[in-house]
Amino acid sequence: MSDRVSETVTMPMRFGSNSGQSVTRRDGIAKVTGRATYAADNHPDGMLYAVYVPATIARGRVTHLDTAAAKAHPGVVEVFTPKNRPPVVGDPDKKPFMFAIPIEVLQDDTVRYAMQPIALVIGETLEAATEGARLLKPQYEVEPARTGFDAEPAKRAAAGPFGRPAEVVHGDTEAGLSQAKQTLDVTYDTPAQYHNAMEPHAIVAKWDGDKLEIDTPNQAIVLSRGFYAFYFGIPADNILIRSPYLGGGFGSKAVPYSPLVLAIAAARKLDRPVKLVLTRAQMFGPVGHRGATRQRLRIGIDGEAQMTALDHVSTAIVDSFDSSFPEPAANASQGLYNASSLHSLMMVVHNDIGVPGAMRAPGEASGSAALECAIDEMAEKAGMDPLEFRLKNYADVEPGTGKPYSSKALRECYAEGAKRFGWAGRPLAPRQMVDDKGFLTGWGMGTALFGAPMFAAQARAVLRPDGTGLVETAAADMGQGAWTALAQIAADSLGLPLDKVEFRSGSSDLPDGGVAGGSGHTATAGGALHAAGTDAIRRLGELAAADPQSPLFGTGNQGFVARDGRLYAARDESRSEAYADIIARAGGQEIEGKGSAARPPEDAARHAMYSHGAVFAEVKIDPVLFQMRVTRLVGAFAAGRIINPKLAESQLMGGMIWGISFALHEEARFDKRTGRIMNTDLAGYHIPVNADVQGLEVITVHEDDPYVNPLGIKGVGEIGVTGTVGAIGNAIWHATGRRIRHFPIRIEDLLA
Amino acid sequence: MQQIRFVLNDETVVIDSISPTTTLLDWLRETKRLTGTKEGCGEGDCGACTVLVGKVVDDRLVYRSVNACIRFVPSLSATHVVTIEHMAGPDGVLTPIQQALADLHGSQCGFCTPGIVMSLYALLMEKPTPSRAEIEIALQGNLCRCTGYESIFRAVEAAAAGMASATPDRLTLTRERIIATLNDLKPKRTIRIFHGQSRSIIPFNTADLADAYATEPNAVIVAGATDVGLWVTKQMRQLSPVIFINHLTELQTIDETADKVRLGAVVTYTQAQNVLAKNFPALGKLLIRIGGQQVRNMGTIGGNVANGSPIGDTPPALIALDATVTLRSRNGARSLAVEDYFIEYGKQAREDGEFVEALEIPKLADDEFYAIYKISKRRDEDISALCGAFKLKLDAAGNVASIRIAFGGMAGTPKRAAHTEAFLTGKPWNEATVSAARAELAKDYTPLSDWRASADYRMLAAQNLLTRLLIETSGEKASLERYAMLEAGE
Ligand SMILES: Cc1cc2nc3c(=O)[nH]c(=O)nc-3n(C[C@@H](O)[C@@H](O)[C@H](O)COP(=O)(O)OP(=O)(O)OC[C@H]3O[C@@H](n4cnc5c(N)ncnc54)[C@H](O)[C@@H]3O)c2cc1C
Ligand code: FES
Ligand code: FES
Repeated sequence: MSDRVSETVTMPMRFGSNSGQSVTRRDGIAKVTGRATYAADNHPDGMLYAVYVPATIARGRVTHLDTAAAKAHPGVVEVFTPKNRPPVVGDPDKKPFMFAIPIEVLQDDTVRYAMQPIALVIGETLEAATEGARLLKPQYEVEPARTGFDAEPAKRAAAGPFGRPAEVVHGDTEAGLSQAKQTLDVTYDTPAQYHNAMEPHAIVAKWDGDKLEIDTPNQAIVLSRGFYAFYFGIPADNILIRSPYLGGGFGSKAVPYSPLVLAIAAARKLDRPVKLVLTRAQMFGPVGHRGATRQRLRIGIDGEAQMTALDHVSTAIVDSFDSSFPEPAANASQGLYNASSLHSLMMVVHNDIGVPGAMRAPGEASGSAALECAIDEMAEKAGMDPLEFRLKNYADVEPGTGKPYSSKALRECYAEGAKRFGWAGRPLAPRQMVDDKGFLTGWGMGTALFGAPMFAAQARAVLRPDGTGLVETAAADMGQGAWTALAQIAADSLGLPLDKVEFRSGSSDLPDGGVAGGSGHTATAGGALHAAGTDAIRRLGELAAADPQSPLFGTGNQGFVARDGRLYAARDESRSEAYADIIARAGGQEIEGKGSAARPPEDAARHAMYSHGAVFAEVKIDPVLFQMRVTRLVGAFAAGRIINPKLAESQLMGGMIWGISFALHEEARFDKRTGRIMNTDLAGYHIPVNADVQGLEVITVHEDDPYVNPLGIKGVGEIGVTGTVGAIGNAIWHATGRRIRHFPIRIEDLLA
Repeated sequence: MQQIRFVLNDETVVIDSISPTTTLLDWLRETKRLTGTKEGCGEGDCGACTVLVGKVVDDRLVYRSVNACIRFVPSLSATHVVTIEHMAGPDGVLTPIQQALADLHGSQCGFCTPGIVMSLYALLMEKPTPSRAEIEIALQGNLCRCTGYESIFRAVEAAAAGMASATPDRLTLTRERIIATLNDLKPKRTIRIFHGQSRSIIPFNTADLADAYATEPNAVIVAGATDVGLWVTKQMRQLSPVIFINHLTELQTIDETADKVRLGAVVTYTQAQNVLAKNFPALGKLLIRIGGQQVRNMGTIGGNVANGSPIGDTPPALIALDATVTLRSRNGARSLAVEDYFIEYGKQAREDGEFVEALEIPKLADDEFYAIYKISKRRDEDISALCGAFKLKLDAAGNVASIRIAFGGMAGTPKRAAHTEAFLTGKPWNEATVSAARAELAKDYTPLSDWRASADYRMLAAQNLLTRLLIETSGEKASLERYAMLEAGE
């Protein structure tokens, strides 16, 4: 099956002609020729190699390291342990900023989780450093590791991540449940998952006095300077972070992690550049992960199948020393279904693991997995088609708060998706469909939902005397295509074709592009670029309008249209002039515009802002061996204005494939005895391979959003994961009649 | 001359001293500063490190994709190593696959891209108009976490369409010259390379191998390094001396006679594919589910048997076929059943100084049915939870005339199901017999639980495989088609 038609309903242009086009990626050639340089590809003169020694226990103390043996190895330059740790000024056990986490930089001999750095070996060559690390042969005083949900009784979380409350109450769900005609009470488990971007975390650090240059993949370049400034007691302006290409991030490359800080500290101490690259196994510990959850969902419906209560309590496994990131799964229930009472609560269980963090669709991915399956179970109880049940409980205003949505084309997503998939006529009961080959066949669906946040960003736009443009913002391209989509926005704002605009990005000496996260980067950095470009055009217009020799003289009060390097009077397009000519007469100086973007709090208060979607899945299952395949997956999404349909499609498809992975593959398996993860490699930690992906279709549904931000952009990076997991789980039930209430779903769940 | 000599892109490299376990990837990135080739795992799983290695075989220059992260530099003698930096022409003209990947967004974050370019270039070099299945097979060993698989497919299709009209690329233009150079670089005697305390031995021929191994029975033999590579990169083991054997032409032979197929010890999965698929279709299908293309281009069936692993996929397949293994030492050769080669977990019937020389596989009779089922979590590029192989012959009355059953992953070694075989023999091949035989399997095996699968699941799945064998041999059309689809991954 290889039906992969994809359709994008393009937006009517509100401005320039670059946005809305499937422009080819600007970084494509660099990437296919191997010339795109990632952090680990840098090699300054005199560089040393650092290898960190990971703890092989999950909890306890390091009692011995054979530093003598390691130091004696030829080529080993230094062995750092708690006894001679390289200085870090800021307190590593503190949490300097909201997003940052406590780190382990050899401040003492305790082990808080497996894979934590317990020593750092520096060598003239990678081979020497690796061998030195092996020779250290750590010994420990081991304490029993706390692993899994039963490690201790669950406690109420102090707060949710990103400063959100741990509990949200709208109405009385207990009352709603007791008044309900039918109720559901189910518990779903989701596993710990590790980002595993293809590019492992890496850093090359170089000091010059108290000035620091680092090459490291980073999703929040300017923000991160502040973190490193804190750790090394220098002004943020002394730090230059270069991150032109990230080999994937998915949320794991926004804050400074222990090994990276250690490498910088070592470089300072030894006064030589140092490179450190994590091994794949080291990606399972100090660099964040999606925390495991156990979610209890209780739903009540009245005689009309209208929800009287939606109660979602999510218990997340967190680390034992920071605990600030309980996977916010219960959030998923807040903005979607029109229940007359709503309650969501986050609980935590402490384990001896590294600090969890945001991973593609944090909260919503795990939460939507459980919610969408529970909704399916409720629909089953009500004897209703799951789509009909969802429409019955469709929210026209945000449930609980009553806020209007800034835009919500979810009905259209349901309709388009169902039509393309061929949902009509699906039998209600499970185990009804067997295809002509004898495969048990099932169809399931899920609703996709993700917030449409904005952060803060700045940008600069310059019109050069030759009429070309230069725009700058320290954005991050993790693969989503910022190099291209942001340039498209900037080119439109400057009224120039794309190839006349130079875009500088990926370096911290540029204006702050904000965080590439929360699916808000295009909106935020794009918004700042748009504002900067508009500002530059405004200045250009002022020059022209004030210049008696310009055809535009005196037209200032009617405003201008900027197109293809010419400025036109807004109400009389017969009057126009090329940028270069305006600038030349004005003295040939470049014209600089500045811009910033952030969502005014009053806008945020007035509307509920989300991207929406509907995902439909077909699975086929062998009746004897229960091997499962997702044979079709159709996602219809409404996500505001689409800047580059090709890029958006890649992001949405990528998200849906992550959904397949969540449903069927990905999970860290912990050894209960040792607290260690058993599958710390890509042979055991399964991410989807090409053969897992078939019959995938993405539809983007037209959506004009006048409130979300001036450009009407919502974001597509994460929403694809949501909805998909539940759709697959529900399809497996529909094929087999088995409700498997944990992810990933394995063959053995169906076989037993 | 005690040197390793090979061609890297367009430069002849001469190395006097290097550790036997320096990987090609580290050497490229850190010594040669060719950083286009990426490291994503260091274990052969992700393909970010894919490069091409060209060798002269029967006067032809054959390039194969390999994982540079587990390929040791001393194994490269007289080869042509090609990296991503060498793909575009000196004038910057891209190969069709590079152009198509760029045009069609086959690259997102781009970290997997150089490896994907190399894998697909190798595919198109061999098959200019590949089918979808062939593209999938070529990409099994390349992971993309940005999951741009769909766009990558479109790119291959576009590149294939443009192949005929494309101007010849660098590797095509330099073929003759490279063949001459490589012939020139071929060592004329055994080479020993010293590096600090460690040593590499690159024997000139099998006789030299036998001598070297007799003198140093503790040496580590390296064929394709798809197991040994991981001992180094994952377990950080220090190995010395190391004897490299994958270049030995005497061990590369494939002989097919009327009644058997003989494979030299260093025949790779890729090289064995055709002859095995022709004679034992089930084995041919199994091979394309071992590792990814790069692993199959390096890994050998000899190594899969020699390593003694309880979860190797080919041993049960070979045991069910009653294959034999030939062991050679300086004192001569002997053959034994593959089944007898595995004594217990971690122990094989290989004496000091003996190496695997060849495998001999008797052909199937017309009335013998042969099936292999590999059960793994992920369909592609995954180690088996269990793997079962069956050779069945029915008599005219529909009774079991003979059956050989072997499983991997069910015991400390690949092992035959003696009880089950005895139980089934002579009985009617039907549902009643098969369901009674399930209990026999429980007498044959007490599988272990590990994170890949629980003991119960292994047993249940093994029992269900018997059912599947019955369904398949009873020839119900829908079931046959279904299984064909499962195998093909459709
Ligand atoms: C990513 C990846 C995926 C894989 N997937 C699978 C899979 O799905 N199924 C599977 O079965 N295997 C799998 N493997 C392992 C498989 O590739 C190996 O078992 C391979 O067959 C070993 O052959 P080699 O030539 O690479 O052996 P090497 O690694 O060179 O050697 C393996 C062992 O055999 C010894 N040896 C090799 N040749 C000889 C000889 N002629 N005489 C004596 N001793 C010898 C070596 O000393 C060593 O102990 C995978 C490996 C990787 C890296
Ligand atoms: S680096 Fe992953 S296969 Fe080599
Ligand atoms: S493009 Fe990012 S891993 Fe493939």
